[in-house]
Amino acid sequence: MGLKNPAEEAVALLRSRLCNSNFIFTLFSDSPDSNYSKLKYIISSSVTEACNNSVLLLGPRGCGKIAVLELVLEDLLKEFPNMISVIKLNGLLHSDDNCALKEISKQLCLEHELLFSKLASSDDNSQFMIAMLRECGLAHKTVIFVLDEFDLFAQGKQRLLYSLLDAMQSVTSQAVVIGVSCRLDADQLLEKRVRSRFSHRKLLFLPLLREDMQRILEHCLLLPTDSGLPHEYVADFNSKLLNILADKKFKEIIDTLFNTDSTFNHLLRFLFSAVCNMNMKPGFLSLENFKAALSSIQRQPKLECLKDCSILELYILVCMKRLEVREQEVCNFNSIMEEYKSIHDSFQTSDYYARTVCRRAFEHLLQRELISFLDNRGHGQSIEFRPVKLLISWHELHQGLKSYRSCPAILYKLVEREG
Amino acid sequence: MSNEGSPKTARRITRLSAVNNENVVESSKTCNFKPLTINDLVYGNQTMSLDELISSFPGRRAQIIELISLLGPLNSAMFPIFVYGGSSTGKTSIILNIFRHLRRPFVYSSCITCYSPRLLFESILNQLMLHRKSESNGYSSAKRCEKPSDFVNSLREALSTVIGNLNGNVEKAGSKKAAGQQPKGKVVYLIFDNLDLVRGWDKSSNILPLLFNLHDVLRMTEVGLIFISNSSPDMYYADTGFIEPFPVYFPDYSEDDLRQILMKNQVNTNLYSSFLDVVLRPFCRITRRADELSTALLPLFKKYCEPLGDLGAIPNEEMKRKLFGHLQKHIAPSLNDTFRVSSELTSGGLLSKDNNKRKGTTKKLGANESSDEIEFYISTSAKYLLISAFLASRNPATLDASLFDSTGGLDNRKRKRKSSGKSLEQKETAEQELLMKGPGTFPLERLVAIFQCLTSVAEYSPDEEGQENSGGIGESGNSGLMSGVLLQLSSLCNSNFITKGGSCPLEGSTRYRSNIPEDMALKVARSLKFPLSKYLYRR
Repeated sequence: MGLKNPAEEAVALLRSRLCNSNFIFTLFSDSPDSNYSKLKYIISSSVTEACNNSVLLLGPRGCGKIAVLELVLEDLLKEFPNMISVIKLNGLLHSDDNCALKEISKQLCLEHELLFSKLASSDDNSQFMIAMLRECGLAHKTVIFVLDEFDLFAQGKQRLLYSLLDAMQSVTSQAVVIGVSCRLDADQLLEKRVRSRFSHRKLLFLPLLREDMQRILEHCLLLPTDSGLPHEYVADFNSKLLNILADKKFKEIIDTLFNTDSTFNHLLRFLFSAVCNMNMKPGFLSLENFKAALSSIQRQPKLECLKDCSILELYILVCMKRLEVREQEVCNFNSIMEEYKSIHDSFQTSDYYARTVCRRAFEHLLQRELISFLDNRGHGQSIEFRPVKLLISWHELHQGLKSYRSCPAILYKLVEREG
Repeated sequence: MSNEGSPKTARRITRLSAVNNENVVESSKTCNFKPLTINDLVYGNQTMSLDELISSFPGRRAQIIELISLLGPLNSAMFPIFVYGGSSTGKTSIILNIFRHLRRPFVYSSCITCYSPRLLFESILNQLMLHRKSESNGYSSAKRCEKPSDFVNSLREALSTVIGNLNGNVEKAGSKKAAGQQPKGKVVYLIFDNLDLVRGWDKSSNILPLLFNLHDVLRMTEVGLIFISNSSPDMYYADTGFIEPFPVYFPDYSEDDLRQILMKNQVNTNLYSSFLDVVLRPFCRITRRADELSTALLPLFKKYCEPLGDLGAIPNEEMKRKLFGHLQKHIAPSLNDTFRVSSELTSGGLLSKDNNKRKGTTKKLGANESSDEIEFYISTSAKYLLISAFLASRNPATLDASLFDSTGGLDNRKRKRKSSGKSLEQKETAEQELLMKGPGTFPLERLVAIFQCLTSVAEYSPDEEGQENSGGIGESGNSGLMSGVLLQLSSLCNSNFITKGGSCPLEGSTRYRSNIPEDMALKVARSLKFPLSKYLYRR
């Protein structure tokens, strides 16, 4: 495989780095006040001191809660071999109590090389879990429960959370419950009996800071010198990349990116797109790659959709907007058609089509989701009578018409007037 | 449909049907299919070069290149991709053909055919486990799987075996060179088509976040996820959100692209391009969908060719002018009934959310506009029933007694006509109301009562069609007539002339509503020589 293009290998390396969200957070593992160190301290102390603990990791999506947790667990599993067993649950999959208990006992069985019975009832499973917790406590083994999408476990009766936290109240058990949620009020969702058994430790995960940006970019994009890649290529690639990073235009791009969404995940997707855009022939990242990445990640679906509309569809949208501005209480296809006719009567437009044609255009708009039905009732009724509403603002419509290539002047005028 | 763009024709060939086609010859002899192997996870038999791929999809060069670069070189990890754009923009067929070009293994499942979570899960697992439903296994799936948790567990298992097999393949391919049929690389791609339909499912609030988070839940770098959807990512709302997949947009075709698409597979390209010069621009003002345009232009092109003796001729300027003169008068009317033909062909794909219930209505309303004859056959009694339903929907129930006297005499009926200014105003608001609310609903009893009145007025009984003066419209005929009515009513309901609404909360009986427009009711009445306008209450 020595004949492979170094650029291709570099891209594969960069892509695997970017897609594995753990990689970006290894950067923060050494600083003492990072979430990584705090979380590691909490878990390792409960492992060494043989106590029960619970903690919530809160923060918006894409800020690395799970990634940091995985890094910590990975380290701890190395540090304390045979002393930790990890049970992972996800609220999306196991929000049902019975299902969650089954999954817990399944993973416990797998971990301790026991035979898992599919037929076991949920009561059996719950007893098994409590017994296992006691046994593990006696053997000084810590069981770590990771509950991803913690807020979803708090729906319903919270039987699982209660039985889990209640089992941890006994002295013999030795367990850590880690809840991960993107709802900052996740602990407020808990019932009183659950909340009182929960230690209110919370770790807040924040979007990335502007100051860290340079470090992160270098961390993600610079090629390592000790990999199998040719040395000259790596040196070239890195020096070119550093030039770009120092460029003023690049800083502007990063600023616009940062202004809309400053989560780690957003940055990763941006970098991923840039790496994908990289031209294989010279094999270096260029400023254009980043520019293209920015435009492909920041989309304006409504405006794109307006650009796709035919002229007749635009007419219908404008008619609806006029009706909306006039504050007519409900509007349906029939009232739109009247408005359409009145526009035609007063301006003698060249685009006046039969009702069936307009109806088809109306259906297209429904399909494009620029308009939608007000309610889901009235399936029996034909489309003409069902009330509809517009899903775009005046501003978007105005903007869309402005950028439309051959928009009839009359439409634009009509919209301008309404504004 | 010779001038149809390839996006549509290619779409019909799903991988499943492609697999089946290979085996058609075989299955005619023996009824056994070859057991599926890992090689069946790639699409099609022959490879496709990048140039072929790009040239077979005019106007889609940028999207193809973007997608290929996002998929990346062999065995590279990727973010989930979200492909979106309007219908008939070639999303599905381009993705499938890209995989044919790359020869990488993938699993395709469309949320149209897999209309519930269970079917979707099982379809993915079946394909991954190389399981085929057949008579011998009772057409059952490889694994019964309803819950998301079971699905993720089984998916993980199935994926790891497939990836293991692919790894084995890669090693073998290193030793021997016969790797034409074999899938390349060790990344399996899962493709979810028509994702927008999932929003209409019962448990969509669970399934959508699961699908979007599947990448994070699985945490396997050897899996790529591709979502294909009609609606843009901002139309997928969830309570606590999800990590957004990477968006790739397929815009609608521009006029130039449409020209290229329509020009494909044309016998006489010169002639057709001069035809498009004339026609394409006005039609693009109405719609820019390739499938609708191709059906609308087909009859028009025949018209265009009419004066020509030799279809293979290359048109010169003079001939073009002559042909244009011939066609000009047809363009404007055909613009206006563009969708009369296509409504029957394509309405199935429209408004898929609650399509089933509305499809018939769309067809019917689009179908009869201008011609005087009704375009279908129904029996005379069904016609009367249709008219009675129409009247029951339009007339206020309070006026029934005065409109249909028990003796059935037309002479006894007296209609008051008001013409004061106030009533004119009322009339306007009532008209407005009719436009906004549509036809009213009525119970079965009222319909039957009106039907009986009408048939007795017309001296007609369904049992004795043609024998008008036999005088047998007595009590004896009534029971037979009633059973006939119920049958007719159910068949009219099935054909969507009358819709069965929900039951009335107060009375508890089912209510009906007539869907036909007025001109059609008039047409039906005319065919019966029935004076409908006399009975119609004009506000």
